Amino acid sequence: MYTCGIDIGSVSTEVVILDGANKGNGKIISYVITSTGSSSKNAAKKSFEAACNKANISKDEIKAIIATGYGRINIPFADKNITEISCHAKGAVSLFPDIKTVIDIGGQDSKVIKLDYGNPIDFLMNDKCAAGTGRFLEVMARALEINLEHFADIFLNTSEKVDITSTCTVFAESEIVSLIGQGVDKNKIIKGLIYSIAARITSMVERIGLQEPVCMTGGVAKNLGVVKALEEKLDTKINIPDEPQITGALGAAYLAQKIS
Amino acid sequence: MFNTMNLKEQVKIRLQKNLNQKYIRRLLNIITSRPFLLITGNTFSSTSDKYLNIFSLKNLKNAYSNHYPVAYGSIFLPYELFYSLEIAPFLPEVMAGYSAVLGLADKTLKKSSSNWYSQDLCTFHRSASGAVELDIFPKPEFIICCSLACDAAQKSFYIYAKNFGIEKNFYLVDVPYSYTTKSESYLSQQLKDISIDISKKLGKKLDLNKFKEVIKLSNEFRKWALKVNNLRKTLINYPINYNGLNFILPFHGLAGTKEAVILYQKMYDELSYYLKKQGQENSNNKNNQKRLLWLHLKPYYRNEIFQILEQGNCKVVFEEFNYIYWPELDPDRPFYSLAKKMISHYLRGEIENRMSAILNMTGDYKIDGAILFSHWGCRQSNGGARIIKDSLKQYNIPTLVLDGDCVDQNNSSEGQLKTRIQGFIEILNSN
Repeated sequence: MYTCGIDIGSVSTEVVILDGANKGNGKIISYVITSTGSSSKNAAKKSFEAACNKANISKDEIKAIIATGYGRINIPFADKNITEISCHAKGAVSLFPDIKTVIDIGGQDSKVIKLDYGNPIDFLMNDKCAAGTGRFLEVMARALEINLEHFADIFLNTSEKVDITSTCTVFAESEIVSLIGQGVDKNKIIKGLIYSIAARITSMVERIGLQEPVCMTGGVAKNLGVVKALEEKLDTKINIPDEPQITGALGAAYLAQKIS
Repeated sequence: MFNTMNLKEQVKIRLQKNLNQKYIRRLLNIITSRPFLLITGNTFSSTSDKYLNIFSLKNLKNAYSNHYPVAYGSIFLPYELFYSLEIAPFLPEVMAGYSAVLGLADKTLKKSSSNWYSQDLCTFHRSASGAVELDIFPKPEFIICCSLACDAAQKSFYIYAKNFGIEKNFYLVDVPYSYTTKSESYLSQQLKDISIDISKKLGKKLDLNKFKEVIKLSNEFRKWALKVNNLRKTLINYPINYNGLNFILPFHGLAGTKEAVILYQKMYDELSYYLKKQGQENSNNKNNQKRLLWLHLKPYYRNEIFQILEQGNCKVVFEEFNYIYWPELDPDRPFYSLAKKMISHYLRGEIENRMSAILNMTGDYKIDGAILFSHWGCRQSNGGARIIKDSLKQYNIPTLVLDGDCVDQNNSSEGQLKTRIQGFIEILNSN
């Protein structure tokens, strides 16, 4: 039995097709990550078709589809939509059954989900502002003219940091431009930036109450610098899925088993 | 025949075209003099909605009519005082909510912003301040406010007094933090002094018989409101568009009038009918419905919050602002009684008072979850969010603290609100 989860985020769209012999079990037979672009509907359709092709199955063989993410409501071929809160929780638990806290940092928002026996019982989300999200890092990478992929290495190999005092993405960008103008080492700025994101997320985790073990999902979890900074601030080890960006779609595919 | 929506749209368009008092007065005159509004039930979505609209408009009309001296009042005052003194109450905070309903808040907020009102001031007060500056509100003779719960009213109301040049007719009722015999008499004396002073300025003698009459009506309103609240403990099927958060004006601002008594009698009759119907239908599909308690106010501009909740099989079965927190009043001791009413408020003093009232509500209404709408700038409500959430958690009641703005649509993100509410519904339904 095949089920599918589609996570339509502000930056990227992820599709996971799951082959589950029994409900609650499953094996990922294909996944696709694409850029969402200007139309979430088109992105979902194209990504879904690509995932089917990759799995070498037809669309009709899929028993149920669940859409999640900010664009979840605009997917006409989905059987149901469920929030990313439930989907990330489900996806994370499917990979790390004992986890009690999920930190998800996506392109446009960040959230902390508290779990009890695998079920979400509480959550916090960032407030209508890009600080503490993937978007924040993207804007800073552009201002620094350094590829975002290099941020993690720079963080890990730099000992000193420069504190970034602005919370707002726009003001932080100006602050960085000003620091570059003063001749401050860009590596130190990057270290400071990553710590500023970690500080923001740590505050959310502390508000909801840290419970271990912790898992991190979403595209930003691929940045080992952010993961390391968070581990340091939270004083705990963070479990990272092999492909953290598809966790929401994976959870959606598992939840689709319930309706198929 | 036009329906309520058309009426609101027409009012909105006309108000936006011409924002002056004379025009509004004329408009209100036309609306409230239409006899068929009183007769035709199908103009409104329910009987409660019909009487709510008629009495609210009548209250507004009185304030704009020039027939009575107008007095601005803040929300937590005992309005029995106003009716006893025969001064027409006008509630700027409630009117800020109306301006959000009518889509006028952008104009009033812009005006207050141009006049340097701080952006972290609550938008009920910012919008009302903008309306005063735009000359939309009627000119008051008196301005009365109190220190209970809200820290913005006393400051913004004093600015209104200065704007209208009536600082000498500005009264601040200082509500003590603690409830003691001494604080009761301190508050009672203030209410008496204000009443004597206003009567003197109006060239009248303090009429204690009028106070007695108003207090009796207030008790009658309380009796019917209690009956409504009792009935709501088991009611699931409500009239279409019924929302307890729409009754803020009558619950507070009409206490002591026969209109409040009629409204709550009519509401009781209507909800009794729905309860009877609910019993007959034995609606099994509603058995798993999650029962929610709403804390603080709601956004008054058009939004989807309550539809999302309904779609998720959740129903707001009670609202904190409809809680009867005060004892029956003594008509022979009006000032003492009104002081007692004020000081009994669950928002007075430490957060434990509010928490205790909330726990009464969660028990009475068999609450599965609570939503605290955290209105931007409202420190008295937001400040207790953590304690409320943690306390309710001990009773296995999840709480969603929903950050947003009751008046300023631009200060809320629809998508984020939707995700938070749906996420909360999913948590409730998984339990």
